[in-house]
Amino acid sequence: MEIKELLRGVELFDGLDEHGLKEVAAICTRRQLKYGELLVKQGEIGRELFIVSEGLMEVAVSDQTAQRVVVNLGTGQLIGEMSLVDRGPRSATVKAIQDPTYVQVIQHDEFHSLCKRNTLIGYQVMLNLAIDLSFKLRHHNLSED
Amino acid sequence: MAVWKVSYVVKESSQAGGIINLDHALKPGEFIDIGRYKLEVLEAFELIPPRGEFHYVHATCKVVETDE
Repeated sequence: MEIKELLRGVELFDGLDEHGLKEVAAICTRRQLKYGELLVKQGEIGRELFIVSEGLMEVAVSDQTAQRVVVNLGTGQLIGEMSLVDRGPRSATVKAIQDPTYVQVIQHDEFHSLCKRNTLIGYQVMLNLAIDLSFKLRHHNLSED
Repeated sequence: MAVWKVSYVVKESSQAGGIINLDHALKPGEFIDIGRYKLEVLEAFELIPPRGEFHYVHATCKVVETDE
């Protein structure tokens, strides 16, 4: 699938026109993961945003005694959006649980540069990012019921 | 190209559920594979109003198969 077509199905880029999608596509690189391969590790400093383009990722959180899976993320979902916003360490460990799994990788610095250079893109993706975080929070709250 | 972003929550199980985009509206009775589990959808409803081509759905499910 062409990268622009893939991005059109990702909520983060909803509302962008052809030019905007082309600009985002220019800063994406594709990465393939095998079953069980780690994408990010809890506590590490992360400088990339990931979009699951195919497959399934398992998100697990550890405390001092145990690790528990909190959510599984499939096609179109974002990983690393919290550290994109707050520049903090990774909040969870994420690994592929389907073989193969593909992600699109965007460097935080390149993403912020694009948003500053084109504020229309910046406004739209930051609004979409807030909605994604809100949806994940609602999912978490309903999971705790 | 409409997209249904679905939050799956599994009732009475330690299975974590998931968030996955679909290309169709989800209906009760459908099955979904999440990792080592096969789930059956019991209930599905719009969690928040749709925006553009994106619909936001919450689904409660039960485990019908597992390889654990």
